Amino acid sequence: MNLPTFILKNALRNRRRALLTVLSVGISCALLVTLLTLQRELTVPPESQAASLRIIARNKVSLAQPLPAKQLRVIERIPGVVAVSPFTYFGGNFRDETLTSFAQFAVDPVRFRGLLVEARVMEGSYEAFEKDRLSCMVGIETVGRYGLRIGDRMKFTGTFYPVDLDLKIAAVFGGTIDDRGVFFHHKLLDELSGDPGTVGTWYIRAASPEVANDVIARLNGAFANTAAEVRAETERAFQLGFVSMLGNVKMLVLLISGAVVFTLSLVTISTMSMAIRERFRELAVLKALGFQRRELFAFILAESFGLAALGALLGVGGAWALWTHLDLQKLTSGFLIYFEVTPRIMAWGAAVAALMGVVAALPPAWQTARMSVTEGLQTLD
Amino acid sequence: MVADPIVSIRDLSKVYRQGEIQVTALNQVSIDIQTGEFVVLMGPSGSGKSTLLHIIAGIDRASSGSVLVQGINVANLTESQLADWRNQNVGFVFQSFNLIPVLTAAENVELPLLLTALGRAERRRQVALALDLVGLADRGHHRPDQMSGGQQQRVAIARALVTDPTLIVADEPTGNLDAKSATDVLSILQALSRDSRKTVIMVTHDPKAAGYGTRSLHLEKGEIVA
Ligand SMILES: Nc1ncnc2c1ncn2[C@@H]1O[C@H](COP(=O)(O)OP(=O)(O)OP(=O)(O)O)[C@@H](O)[C@H]1O
Ligand SMILES: [Mg+2]
Repeated sequence: MNLPTFILKNALRNRRRALLTVLSVGISCALLVTLLTLQRELTVPPESQAASLRIIARNKVSLAQPLPAKQLRVIERIPGVVAVSPFTYFGGNFRDETLTSFAQFAVDPVRFRGLLVEARVMEGSYEAFEKDRLSCMVGIETVGRYGLRIGDRMKFTGTFYPVDLDLKIAAVFGGTIDDRGVFFHHKLLDELSGDPGTVGTWYIRAASPEVANDVIARLNGAFANTAAEVRAETERAFQLGFVSMLGNVKMLVLLISGAVVFTLSLVTISTMSMAIRERFRELAVLKALGFQRRELFAFILAESFGLAALGALLGVGGAWALWTHLDLQKLTSGFLIYFEVTPRIMAWGAAVAALMGVVAALPPAWQTARMSVTEGLQTLD
Repeated sequence: MVADPIVSIRDLSKVYRQGEIQVTALNQVSIDIQTGEFVVLMGPSGSGKSTLLHIIAGIDRASSGSVLVQGINVANLTESQLADWRNQNVGFVFQSFNLIPVLTAAENVELPLLLTALGRAERRRQVALALDLVGLADRGHHRPDQMSGGQQQRVAIARALVTDPTLIVADEPTGNLDAKSATDVLSILQALSRDSRKTVIMVTHDPKAAGYGTRSLHLEKGEIVA
């Protein structure tokens, strides 16, 4: 026998408690990693991805307020803008549905092409869509769901707009985060609604992720103090804007993480204290045999840290495996895109668990150090 | 001329204070113990036997007076020095065995050797010798809960003598044992003092046990009476 064997035998003497400790650290750790990943997903815009290049500018007053079509001339000339197209949400109901789940947007097909970075035309051709004012381009998921083909007609009843659409499918696209939408000619919408000279929002592409923030600032500045001030944000931030309306999500996630860490420490501290208290007498015997305080401290620390480390390995590893292998994009309909458990997040999870292991060892170690041998020998088993 | 005593106790007092109340557990005790003696400490409950034994063994400290063991004043050692001193000089046997339940008999005996510089093979040899001495050579792989009380106490004695200590202290080692096991344990302690010239100090309530010793000391209210 040697000291490590001794420590191991002690740590595993109560298998059920050791298992429960490892599991509770593991689950808390997995939860913490998940929360940190969620918080990263919600706050860090996807970097060097097409989506972070795309900016949506909407009316500062509200999303429902239109913007003047003549803003186009100004936006086009803003440095860093590579492409811009009107982007107006139609919100119609398909066929006789009462609430259609895929969106329809009126765009300028020529300009819009420059905004489609990751999209690929799967059937038909973009040129056909561009040429035919009454045509549309449909996402492959919608096509699949309704059994549609090139040349089929799609009829929509307006809800916001008092007009109906009758569109012919000219192209089918895929390969984007959300392959469900329908795009049609803004000109058609303008004609049908009596040429109001407005658009819903502007869809803009920045030259690079680095300049995206500058472009946003310039867009906001360009229309400041005009009748139609704009609010520009990345496409991703725009999507997440809906979520953050529920409250300060980042703060909430941090609070929950804090609560998890707190619970985690309470659990490990109490189990470690229990594990040591029932061994008080044995520790007194070890002291009598000549073991030093620092050696007993090392035993307790090694045991506590070892169990916490095992829990961390399980929890962090489990969370990583789960979130890496689940297709969250599909499960959440594109709301969660990357949900990447980064090495940094894993390191945080592991570090917190390891720290808990150390912290949990301190109270019992302190008690043990202070205990006199005679006192310890008198404690009952 | 008599050789220098291995243990020399002078004017040893121990006072416990609990708030207003003072308990004098030991009052001006002076004893000399020679190498190879088997000293039996007797006396009524609360007379200070355990307290005296603990102070000699360096797990408790006196209020005044001195204890010299091989000329070393134990009271002058720091906590850390005292721990090393105990490891090298004192073997403990307790009333309730106090073996580590997750370790086998051999591992329990090996425990104090882990603090020494001995290598693995040498440790094993010493453990085997000690277990053999207490008649448990074949029980090395058993855990405490697989052994009788008498066997557990013999393992504890093996653990106490494996480091070849100056002193073996035993506080009521037969208190939890049946008559047969008690006799075994007492015979082993007697043989250690008689044949191996070990100095043994034992506390007991049992007058028959006192017969195994070379000398009996009676404590009453913290004072030596005979
Ligand atoms: N930690 C302590 N605090 C206060 N008083 C104590 C403490 N330890 C012992 N005493 C008191 O000191 C006296 C001597 O106690 P000690 O344990 O030495 O007696 P003992 O002779 O071993 O008794 P027993 O035969 O019952 O084991 C007793 O009056 C006891 O109450
Ligand atoms: Mg006693």
